[in-house]
Amino acid sequence: MKFPYCQHRHSSPDPKAPALEIQGLGVSYSSEEKSVLHDVDINISAGWVVALVGPNGAGKSTLFKAICGLLPITKGNIRVFGHPLGACHHRVVYLPQRSEIDWQFPISVLDLVVMGRYVYLGWFKRPQKRDFEIARHALKEMNVLELADRQISKLSGGQQQRVLIARALAQNADLLLLDEPLNAVDTITRQTVGEVLHKIKSQGKTVIVATHYYDQEEGRYDKAIYLKDGKKISSTDVKEDPNNEGCECK
Amino acid sequence: MHYLTDPLQYIFIQRALIAAVIIGVLCACLGTFVVLRRMAVVGHALTHSALPGLVIAYLLGGSLFAGALIATVLTALCIGFLARDESVYEDTLVGMVPNIMFAFGILLISTSKSFRDLFSMLFGNILGVTVGDLHLIMLIALVSLMAVFLFYKELKLFAVDPNYAKTIGMPVKAMHYGILLFLSFTVVVGIQAVGTVLTNALLVIPVAAARLLTDRLGRMIILSCIFAVMSAVGGIYLSYYFGSASGASIVMFAALIFAVAWAYKFIQKAMR
Repeated sequence: MKFPYCQHRHSSPDPKAPALEIQGLGVSYSSEEKSVLHDVDINISAGWVVALVGPNGAGKSTLFKAICGLLPITKGNIRVFGHPLGACHHRVVYLPQRSEIDWQFPISVLDLVVMGRYVYLGWFKRPQKRDFEIARHALKEMNVLELADRQISKLSGGQQQRVLIARALAQNADLLLLDEPLNAVDTITRQTVGEVLHKIKSQGKTVIVATHYYDQEEGRYDKAIYLKDGKKISSTDVKEDPNNEGCECK
Repeated sequence: MHYLTDPLQYIFIQRALIAAVIIGVLCACLGTFVVLRRMAVVGHALTHSALPGLVIAYLLGGSLFAGALIATVLTALCIGFLARDESVYEDTLVGMVPNIMFAFGILLISTSKSFRDLFSMLFGNILGVTVGDLHLIMLIALVSLMAVFLFYKELKLFAVDPNYAKTIGMPVKAMHYGILLFLSFTVVVGIQAVGTVLTNALLVIPVAAARLLTDRLGRMIILSCIFAVMSAVGGIYLSYYFGSASGASIVMFAALIFAVAWAYKFIQKAMR
């Protein structure tokens, strides 16, 4: 099978391989000489929910963008479900910080979620009835089906987050990269995101959540990886270290 | 009723009306994506870039369309190329390159002996559309509208979430250049109606009015088309009866529609 837009050949995930394996990764933006990430090594098992913790500017978004192919890698390598970057394109989805999406755009929630099916459609093909059914099902999974016909500008922060996750589910992605979903949200939204993460995990999917606030008492993460100034400073398997109490990075 | 039918006895008015409808639909369809991609400033810049091409073509006795098209496409590609490595911000280039082109056009005009035809380049003359012009307008409109129809889905995603478009393998850079190219085509066609100075108004004002009245993309495109055609046709009638400049009349008609749409929205909000 080939991807309709980029003609890359698709490889099925290797069930024995980790969801994400990064070795000696270096990434820099094209116009900058200085590397933003330096020798980052990360290993994440399939089905885990992982916190990527670090202050603003630590390189969390850069790491996500490198994993989903938005930024070129200058050093090291990334393997997703046992394959080199690009071979599992359908399986990886990056949910940017909400500010990176034009929420004033004149489309409905259902239209936005059905965009998760475009990767299978390619040029000239319009979404079919089945694609809309899948999108509706994804919205139902996230408990926001009643918002299907609502204009996207009329969503709250928590609803926006759930709609974006629904789009990832419609894409049938197995590795979800959530960039600061807990940033500037109220307590209710924070709880909602927690429930959503639990639900995604129960479906066997792997989730990495970039956050500058980490509270292990909320009990939603299996592992925490700490980044600072583009370097990994430590990582903790929460499952093996129940005494880890979390932190807030400033 | 005869107020509507009287002007139609003239062939040049008939041609102008056909051109107005086509240009209106084209400007509205492309304008919708220009506005939603926040590229209205780029459209404004490209309209100004056409001037030296028009003047050179005029001085050499060549096709004004071809002159404008070459100058506009070259400017669009030049901005895209220079912005590639981000050493100069794209919006800085957009504010710089077209003004240099416009100044170059004015410089060329100042060396020319006749200013009469150049006035229509700056402010448009839809009443002077020839059969040849009409054929070219139809061809450009057909190709551009086909492109919007075929790539509608991709244009939509590219506008709302370009990063996601890139992650699923869409060639977003090529799409950006493609939009600039078709925007150049549309600008060149629009110049015939309202001139280099006012073409951006026809790209943006009907779309802005439609945006006030709907929050669905499909309806927004249809409403924009209706408003753009109303502006273009209304402007021609204004020009016929009051002897006003056709380009300015079209833009003022569009502004009137925007004002009505804004007032409607304002009253609707106040009554809630």
